[in-house]
Amino acid sequence: MNGSPLRRIGTGWLLVLPFLALVVALFLGPIVNILWLSVTDPEPGLGNYAALVTSDNLVGILWTTIRICVITTAFSVIFGYSIAYAMVHVAQGSRNQMLSLLLVSFWISVLVRTFSWLMLLGRKGLVNETLVNIGIIAEPIEFMRNELGVLIGMVHYMIPYAVLPLLAVMQNIDGRVLSASRSLGATGQQTFWRVYLPLTRPGLVAASLLVFILSLGFYVTPAILGGGKVLMVAEYISVQILVTLRWGTAAMLAALMLFGVLALLFLMSRFMKLSTIFGGAKA
Amino acid sequence: MIDGAVSGGLRLKALTKRFGSFTAAESVNLDIRRGEFLTLLGPSGSGKTTLLMMIAGFLDITEGDILLDGMSIAGMPPEKRNFGMVFQGYALFPHMSVRQNIAYPLDVRKRPKAEIEARVDEMLDLVQLQDFGHRLPGQLSGGQQQRVALARALCFAPPVLLLDEPLGALDKKLRVEVQDQLKDIHRRVGTTFIYVTHDQEEALSMSDRIVIMQKGRIEQVGTPEELYQKPRTRFAASFLGKSNFLTKDGALYALRPEKIDIAPKGAGQGPNRVSGTVRAMTYFGSVLKYDVTVPGMDEIEVDADAWRGGAPLAAGAEVDLSWSDAAAVRLERD
Amino acid sequence: MHDKQFMRETVAEGAKAFKEGRMDRRSFLVLCGMAGIATQSVIAGDAEAAANEIVMWNWGGQSEECHGAAIGDPFTAETGMPLKFDTSGPLQGKIKEMVDSGNVTADVCDADLFDAVALGPSGHLEPIDYDIVSKDRTLPQYALEHGVSIILYGYAFVYDTEAYGDNPPKSWADFFDTAKFPGKRSLYKWANGALEGALLADGVSKDALYPLDMDRALAKIKSIKDDSLYWGSGSEAHSMVVNGEVSMGMVWQNRGRNIENDTDGRYKLVMNEALAMPGAYIVPKGNPAGREAVMKFIATAQGVPSQLTLLDCLGMTPSNPEAFAQIPEDQQPYAITSAMNIDNIVYNDPTWWGENGGDAVNAFLDAIS
Repeated sequence: MNGSPLRRIGTGWLLVLPFLALVVALFLGPIVNILWLSVTDPEPGLGNYAALVTSDNLVGILWTTIRICVITTAFSVIFGYSIAYAMVHVAQGSRNQMLSLLLVSFWISVLVRTFSWLMLLGRKGLVNETLVNIGIIAEPIEFMRNELGVLIGMVHYMIPYAVLPLLAVMQNIDGRVLSASRSLGATGQQTFWRVYLPLTRPGLVAASLLVFILSLGFYVTPAILGGGKVLMVAEYISVQILVTLRWGTAAMLAALMLFGVLALLFLMSRFMKLSTIFGGAKA
Repeated sequence: MIDGAVSGGLRLKALTKRFGSFTAAESVNLDIRRGEFLTLLGPSGSGKTTLLMMIAGFLDITEGDILLDGMSIAGMPPEKRNFGMVFQGYALFPHMSVRQNIAYPLDVRKRPKAEIEARVDEMLDLVQLQDFGHRLPGQLSGGQQQRVALARALCFAPPVLLLDEPLGALDKKLRVEVQDQLKDIHRRVGTTFIYVTHDQEEALSMSDRIVIMQKGRIEQVGTPEELYQKPRTRFAASFLGKSNFLTKDGALYALRPEKIDIAPKGAGQGPNRVSGTVRAMTYFGSVLKYDVTVPGMDEIEVDADAWRGGAPLAAGAEVDLSWSDAAAVRLERD
Repeated sequence: MHDKQFMRETVAEGAKAFKEGRMDRRSFLVLCGMAGIATQSVIAGDAEAAANEIVMWNWGGQSEECHGAAIGDPFTAETGMPLKFDTSGPLQGKIKEMVDSGNVTADVCDADLFDAVALGPSGHLEPIDYDIVSKDRTLPQYALEHGVSIILYGYAFVYDTEAYGDNPPKSWADFFDTAKFPGKRSLYKWANGALEGALLADGVSKDALYPLDMDRALAKIKSIKDDSLYWGSGSEAHSMVVNGEVSMGMVWQNRGRNIENDTDGRYKLVMNEALAMPGAYIVPKGNPAGREAVMKFIATAQGVPSQLTLLDCLGMTPSNPEAFAQIPEDQQPYAITSAMNIDNIVYNDPTWWGENGGDAVNAFLDAIS
């Protein structure tokens, strides 16, 4: 009686085993390689990791990266929340239009967006020229080529990524729960803060994680909109690999990013089931 | 006794709701008395939920008015109306404990903490969930959730409690149990209950008065007994209980199956008598149900007392059916 | 895997292509816009190296037709071997990875001479065979063991004539003097040229530049940091100037002409103290065509006709002294080794950069970020 289902499972595993092995090899192989490199190049030992403590340079880059990612995450999620909220509450037709616009924006390359921002908000961009011409400001506002520029570009890029998980959660909220709150005497605002917001928390966590992790890997936008003064880890890693040949340093930073993200996911999993965050089975 | 409502009389005046060209409720006039248990009964799409949602304030009124103790509340947002409401599926706040759920209406009214705690204890007593205060709704059974929803809706002593098919999700046996508790709670709090259901037995057993609705209109209003004994329309007679319909002298009569005597052919007595053949007999324990074919009439259903009615008659038996004059109720319209 | 890597580095490479003036602005923007599609076509252009052909690893864009016309055509006519291209850009890291992996698919890299110093001693490059390649047909200091300079490019600066009309800046000292010449500046982000410019501005003489005094250079760089932007690609350098973001901009000298044209002469190139950079050909260890064939190819590139075609096609200045006198009139103001500029330029030291470049770039990045 037990035999046949067990055997069926066994056969199933056998069928996927080669692919599983392939995935494990292709996925874990490079990671092991990076870890190995980080403790062997240029010489065996933990020298690369020690640089994290001894080098103000590295600490500064990490701090810049984390600061920018946190701010980007905060603004992307706030804007994304408003957009998702609007999408859930407009008529079906408008919602489909908004969704199409959102998806189209995924197709616009990061370079095009970046240069568009320069044309719009640069020193001689549309906004500054207009403001100067109508006499509101005397000197152009420095929107671009600094950290503000990086944040504008990154938040803009990240908003759609924040919207999608929030939208999924908001669409699943039972409208009767909100009606119940109103009928029990809560105003619209009270209902939002005390019922709606807590119920969208899994979406908030998912959106924040997604945006933060994606932000960590940002490269083009900070490089161009930061005017060269905003150096984030991804760009630094690329320079160490391609230009300065400090592969050990690059591997160490890559490993650090990897474990940082894993630690983050682990911490989150302590507070809520990851499967609910990423849209799996409901808790 | 829970300190309850001092008001709670509602008047619906020519209340109408249209969605585009569809009329969900048409010119409904109804007085709801303070403290009564009133049931809106009808099939789905009859307008009963629309009516409830207009009373609650979740739907705008197209025409007409709603008065609470003489004052118009049309256009007032739901949270200002102070009506409790129990939703289909309960609509408990899944992220709050039972206590937090029940305390919610007092919390948002910023009442003192001690008062809230005392009141929540009182409500937990009322619905007999004293030991469940710290659970989350997801950890409760359906019947327990239903009671939490009730306690939450009654916690702020609303003058009117609106219930939208609150027992729909419960199984049959549990439903009867909760019906009794609900009736008991209604008696104790004295709040006006407006109860929406499509279940006629529920309506009969719980209500002070029943409003039968069809196609956005009120078909008939009355106590359960009035409605059962004196239905005014064919719809009322057939939706609340079962009925045979007879035509006599151009008028339509409703005749309840249990008011018909059935006897072997030749043994029938009484002023109204017809002969027919038993097509089918079904045994329900206390009742024997006969489907009798009578030449020139629709098939007639007869419920006979299984204990007093003598030996069951088998299918194919020739029978006489008879009833008193009072048993047949003349209907006002089809 | 290859195309993903390319996607990520599209900017860096597109930028590098600009640096050498081999891609015009329009094609760069098209590349940006088409992203994935562009990637595919570039990948399709990749060639598998074989023994009977030369594969040149360069930066794409116009360089294919220019290298083809300048070197490929005469070389094929002479040897019968065709020239093919891998346009993914031979950054140091990629050359090292290719040789380390044992799968060498390129014969010659269009690189910098300091790359030869950085990669040669570790065994990643074939030595140059100076029996075939001529030491006389390049500048004497730029014929190194593992690489030979074929062309020169340089770091110079442009300035806004409307901002400094009557008293224009003439030197790096003026460039770094934001009190006398107020306004924004732009500099190269990867340290090269910027460090030399800073030291010259600080009073170090041309002959005493190397070894670079890093602390002194970085202090000078930091002194104008608040007024500085830094570019990582030729397109950025170009747009920072053309869009009026800066009043003085360090640029690759061969872009000077474009900038002057695009701004209708408002911005003007200053060639005084321009820093000459030796662009070099280097050969990955174990190249598929064999050492002799590729050396012949390099020798062809040294020829005067090839040198002048590269100048005409890409704006790259000849390294072969025989070609100096033949630089056409209209190219003279922009060419590094033309008679009017050659006495005022400063030569880059590829040995110092090859040995210290990594640290210098990191220190520079730290200073500006």
